[in-house]
Amino acid sequence: MNLAANKKTLAASGAVLGLIAALLAYTGNPKNMAICVACFIRDISGAVKLHTTGTVQYMRPEIVGFVCGAFLIALITKEYRSTAGSSPMIRFLLGVIMMIGSLVFLGCPLRMVIRMSAGDLNAYVALIGFVGGVYTGTLALKHGFSLGRAYPAEKASGYILPAVLVILLVLSVTTTLFAFSESGPGSMHAPVLLALGGGLVFGAIAQRTRTCFAGSIRDVLLMQNFDLISIIGGFFAVMLVFNLATGGFKLSFAGQPVAHSQHLWNFLGMYAVGFAAVLAGGCPLRQLILAGQGSSDSAVTFLGLLVGAAFCHNFGLAGAAAAAATADTPAVAGGPGINGQVALIASIVILFVIGFSPKNRKN
Amino acid sequence: MRKKEWKLIVTFHTTADAIAFEKSCKESNKDGRMIPVPRELSAGCGLAWCAVPEVKEELERFSAEKGLSYEEMTELFY
Repeated sequence: MNLAANKKTLAASGAVLGLIAALLAYTGNPKNMAICVACFIRDISGAVKLHTTGTVQYMRPEIVGFVCGAFLIALITKEYRSTAGSSPMIRFLLGVIMMIGSLVFLGCPLRMVIRMSAGDLNAYVALIGFVGGVYTGTLALKHGFSLGRAYPAEKASGYILPAVLVILLVLSVTTTLFAFSESGPGSMHAPVLLALGGGLVFGAIAQRTRTCFAGSIRDVLLMQNFDLISIIGGFFAVMLVFNLATGGFKLSFAGQPVAHSQHLWNFLGMYAVGFAAVLAGGCPLRQLILAGQGSSDSAVTFLGLLVGAAFCHNFGLAGAAAAAATADTPAVAGGPGINGQVALIASIVILFVIGFSPKNRKN
Repeated sequence: MRKKEWKLIVTFHTTADAIAFEKSCKESNKDGRMIPVPRELSAGCGLAWCAVPEVKEELERFSAEKGLSYEEMTELFY
């Protein structure tokens, strides 16, 4: 079946992605995180002890599934192409920046949509920032920005990331080498096999349909093409129904789980993610899918996301979740501290330098 | 729903090549439009130029004259 035949099949594919996210949230993953790419890479970063924040350490099978699902379906459909050589270190930096922006907001574009479907108005503020970032990225493209073309590489080069992730997952379930959170989001997870299976199907569908949160908005802005955004529409609709049915829907700024209402930083966090994603050729989810289908450049972006997550927690860049007052503790407004604010502003400056530098202009 | 017919699809190695191609075509009043790369041609999510098949040779000459880079020109029922 051609999942990408038309907008209806694309929206239906998005709905299936939503069902997988809802199933994993229902069976143990944090409710309005469900299947967040940035959060889960951050958890893996903690599991392998690149950072030591005790509440966000878990070797998430979903990430292994995304990459391996895309890898397997690309092999089956003969779309696997091992490529490399398109400015890998800039892509690494873009991966770090996407993670900083995501963790200031507290979620990647995928979680932003999940939070929107749960009525979290902070996510709608972030959406405006995300669209602004994608728009700025498209301006850079129109000004001639390019990271250069990728070239065919040794076939085995594209096998490395899927293989390493599988080995890490096997080690995580058979040894005590990895850290596991005993409380907080990292302690909440669906059963391993279900998470892996869900991730595999999610990755395969995302590969077949070219799902990309940044690309969908870029296509609307550049070509008034609504194909890719149909997938996001289907995904949002299913998550909305899930949240309404399970009591997870609450239309408000305050009282949202693992979120804060620092509007400027929610806006700027996702602005940086949208901008960086267009320069890198895809959102965090898309980078995993491209890495799975053989792009070593996207595998390097994944490493940037992984290391960026460690930076965020080791150097206090991540935003804190807001919390209501209790008998023992005062209310916490949440949001990024001064380190996170400086890092995010610096990241946006770097994006402008990368995107609009004459050296990166081709015409 | 859009009616399918034979089209000439020009694909590119980079998004910058695609945008430069579109810019030159528009400046020279060449018929055609930018589209997402058809899934039959590429697993990427990049851009492609879509025109009628009859202009293939004209676009090849135009690209050479203007120094425009592209990956392939393919005729596709799209």
